[in-house]
Amino acid sequence: MSASVDSSSALIPAVAGGDVAAFEAVYDRYSGTLYALLLRILGNAEDAQEVLQEAFVKVWTTARMFDAARGSEVAWLISIARSKGIDKLRSRKIRSDRENDAGREISIHSAFVDKTTGADVAILSQERIAVRNALAELPEAQRIALELAYFEGLSQSEISERLHEPLGTVKTRMQLGMKKLRERLQAFR
Amino acid sequence: MIAHDEAQEIAALDAVGAASADEERDLGEHLAACAECRRVRDEYAEAVTLLARGLTPVPPPAELRERVVSGEAADNVVDARRRFGSSKWWLATAATIFLALWGWRELTMRVEREKYTTQEAEIRRLAEDNLRLSQNNEKLSAEMASLASAGTRTISLSGQQAAPSASARVFLEPERRRAIVFFYNLPANAKDKSYQLWVIAAKPQSAGVFDVTGSGNATITIENLPVATEIKALAVTLEPRGGVAQPSNSNFFVMGSSSL
Repeated sequence: MSASVDSSSALIPAVAGGDVAAFEAVYDRYSGTLYALLLRILGNAEDAQEVLQEAFVKVWTTARMFDAARGSEVAWLISIARSKGIDKLRSRKIRSDRENDAGREISIHSAFVDKTTGADVAILSQERIAVRNALAELPEAQRIALELAYFEGLSQSEISERLHEPLGTVKTRMQLGMKKLRERLQAFR
Repeated sequence: MIAHDEAQEIAALDAVGAASADEERDLGEHLAACAECRRVRDEYAEAVTLLARGLTPVPPPAELRERVVSGEAADNVVDARRRFGSSKWWLATAATIFLALWGWRELTMRVEREKYTTQEAEIRRLAEDNLRLSQNNEKLSAEMASLASAGTRTISLSGQQAAPSASARVFLEPERRRAIVFFYNLPANAKDKSYQLWVIAAKPQSAGVFDVTGSGNATITIENLPVATEIKALAVTLEPRGGVAQPSNSNFFVMGSSSL
């Protein structure tokens, strides 16, 4: 059995069935997004690569846990990578050493094997633009609060302290921001 | 339990990883019984990933892909899955180890069983020895009591033509009608023969059969003797093994008369 890289295909169930081609397709399609996420969280290429590999190990070994009724496969993959990235961030206590500009440490490898098709790239790019537009609609204060929680793993009180804002204000901002993201979600499902 | 609105507000925070421990617990209790809020929770979980999906993808190094999906490195996850998912070598190895351990266990158990059986036999033998020694002790005590009794009488039997150097001494307890007889220097009896002691009252009565040791000695205890006053003499003949009802011959080895 082999998997195509058609954007409508269900890759994760195929991976759950042991389809190596599907696993490769998942890697080729999503590793760039997951790596960017991990670089954003960890701010360190070496750590990000290590965690990315761990994340794909988990994808391979727990693919049967994926439930398409609960969410998309990209969301499932992002959840795995983000969870592992935050774990790494907390365990190594590298938060204080983290670079604000993750891109500063990123080196683009010319040997990257991009096996996604041109159509995929176009679809992914369009989606990314739409996502960015959706995020841009969020008030900056809400977006910042969400990003501190999501990318840095900060608690409500830590965000409150970081932003010098009351805890209740921070909580309200995050709840409002999440509601807006949820409303925008329909465009990407 | 918290209300739906509150549960959904916590679900929003939980999706971004900002719910407190108490809020997570309350949310978990609510979601366990509320399908609608579970659906909302899943939507928030999906929505928060938009934060990551808006990032510009960064291709990881090519060698990472090799390690993950097609390389030959030991930590290649696909190869690991293949090894453990489809290859059977580890099953064979595990089976071999299991059989070896099982065989070793069986061998050890067999040795232990044999050791146990041997020890059990030894215990039985010792118990039998103990019983025999106990019986001997009881017999010797009785014999000592007879020898030390004030009413014990002694009868000496002397060697006859068949064994001139033989002799015997009888310690007789008339009251208990019991006697202990010590024989000395009797010739060794053939395997198919037994010495037989006769108590001669109105007629000869068998008092028992015996074999002698290599030195020609023997000791027997006689119970239920005739009344002492009726005993006229004691004599020993050599008879077929096991003894006979009446003496088959008059070739006495030792003999003595009672002086009672």
